[in-house]
Amino acid sequence: MNVTEAIRADAARLLTEGRARMVIGYRLHHGRGVPVFLTAPERVDSLYYGPQCTLNLAAYLSRPEVRRSAPVAIVAAPAALRSLVVLAAESQVPEGSVLALAVGPDEYHGVVDAAAAAELLRTRYACLEADPDLSARAAELAAMSPRERSAFWQEQFARCTRCYACRAACPGCYCQRCVVEKNMPQWVSTAARGHGNYAWHILRAFHQAGRCVLCGACESACPQGIELMLLNISIAQNVQEQFGATPGLDPEAKPVMGTFRPDDKDEFIR
Amino acid sequence: MKVLEARKIGELAAALSGAGWRVLLPIEDGNVVRLAPWSPGAAVRTDVVPVNSLKDALFPPSEAIGRFGLDGNDFTVKEAPVDSARTVALCVRACDTAALGLLDTIFNWDFPDAFYNARRSAVTIVSLVCTSADEQCFCTSVGGRPDATVGADAVLRPAEAGAKLIFEPLTDKGRALVSAATALLADVADATVVADKPAEVPQLFDRPAVTKWLGANFDSPLWQDWSLACLGCGACAFACPTCHCFDIQDETTRSRCVRYRNWDACALSLFTQHAGGHNPRADQAARRRQRLMHKLSYIPERFALVGCVGCGRCERACPAGLGIVEICQAIEEIQKVPAR
Repeated sequence: MNVTEAIRADAARLLTEGRARMVIGYRLHHGRGVPVFLTAPERVDSLYYGPQCTLNLAAYLSRPEVRRSAPVAIVAAPAALRSLVVLAAESQVPEGSVLALAVGPDEYHGVVDAAAAAELLRTRYACLEADPDLSARAAELAAMSPRERSAFWQEQFARCTRCYACRAACPGCYCQRCVVEKNMPQWVSTAARGHGNYAWHILRAFHQAGRCVLCGACESACPQGIELMLLNISIAQNVQEQFGATPGLDPEAKPVMGTFRPDDKDEFIR
Repeated sequence: MKVLEARKIGELAAALSGAGWRVLLPIEDGNVVRLAPWSPGAAVRTDVVPVNSLKDALFPPSEAIGRFGLDGNDFTVKEAPVDSARTVALCVRACDTAALGLLDTIFNWDFPDAFYNARRSAVTIVSLVCTSADEQCFCTSVGGRPDATVGADAVLRPAEAGAKLIFEPLTDKGRALVSAATALLADVADATVVADKPAEVPQLFDRPAVTKWLGANFDSPLWQDWSLACLGCGACAFACPTCHCFDIQDETTRSRCVRYRNWDACALSLFTQHAGGHNPRADQAARRRQRLMHKLSYIPERFALVGCVGCGRCERACPAGLGIVEICQAIEEIQKVPAR
């Protein structure tokens, strides 16, 4: 049985047995894997899985329409499983409300909950290989002077039209009211230009520090082709070096940027 | 007739730039192609629909529409200059020029918009006939054609499998380009170069039937199903050649204020959020419905125009692959079901 068929069979079983009231998977449309929301087992034939399925479906778990349909099952590759673990750690998915149909690069792992997802990730996908091109680009960027690096990002962010597709596609961006929407007063300029664009992207990246699972959904979603993964990986590497943390492996993990340790190695914070 | 070697499009841009025009062309930038100001060395790409439309050149994502000086309680209005730089937009798709009918109407409806109108009268539009279309293209379903010339000042028709471009001026503005590019536009006897066949774009739904259904089905429960995948960003609206909604924000320091007009989008929850906390479009279904209704029901009703030109950018830009066509086809299917 191939991965698509296995997903269909499990989706039908979950819906029939009532273990899930909604299954969110992918269907193939115009050559892309686009989300499909199933509530009836008769419709599982529309499900598809393949390399075109890049959207991180965990982004839908915070939507009220989806929450109302709990328990929900999502088709999830390792990066989306990490999102699920992060969301569980951040108390965003009530226990028993979300299952995942876990898919690896070459195999199907079956139905898991957040705890089982974490176990699968630790045993099989603890070290996700970063795209070598991306790592090389990140190293180039790290070797730049702060001024050069700032100029690079200014040029990248100049493309931004502030459509917020990056935020919408990101499972970690679930704030009820995003900081750019805090408008009494307006904290961040919403004009699609210089300092507002810079502030927006840096704020978002910092808010994702220690939480970003490097799924690439934001960069894929960006209609303007901004190299957001370069920003994410730079911060993820920093989090790894400074805090020894890899987000999305431990559902009990405290958020890196939201915890304080009395034995912190830095003097200034103690 | 006048014929340009297709590979010399950059030279045409250089000639026009040299003659004082700001030149816009579809230019490759990383992994996207964007209609953007040409500069020497730019990689021109006419084989794909650019991620942005001609709208950006007339109604940019953000622009200063007011400037004020502040000094204690004193307030002075300063000039907010309009942008009237002479511009030529080359290789513009027929769907983009089709959108001008609506944009011109909207920006001169109850109030003539000085900023839009200054740019609009300063631009010369040279369209490019589409000889290929992708799976997202559907101009013929909303009254367009891949070789339509409405709104263009001149048209480039690919010939000899795209190796040549027949340059055909349509207005005085279009004719004004010829003298700046004489060396590049070869005069050949009429009919010696034959234009390539325009792209075949199948008609995918019956637009008037969709408009009729929309007018009677504001409360359909189907809006919930059709909106589940919508993530609530503005990618579709910002990529759209006809979407024209904006927000106004004053950015103020102690001594000055700049009033910006920024693109806004009905899919964003803040778009209709009231100061008191109420949101009349409470969920994503109401927001997505608004997008469809505005384009295919309210605009046809109010202006006898269609608010969609079938460029397919919304679907290409949508992280979830949502577009206009699937809903319209679903609406058509519903209507085929005989009433019980």
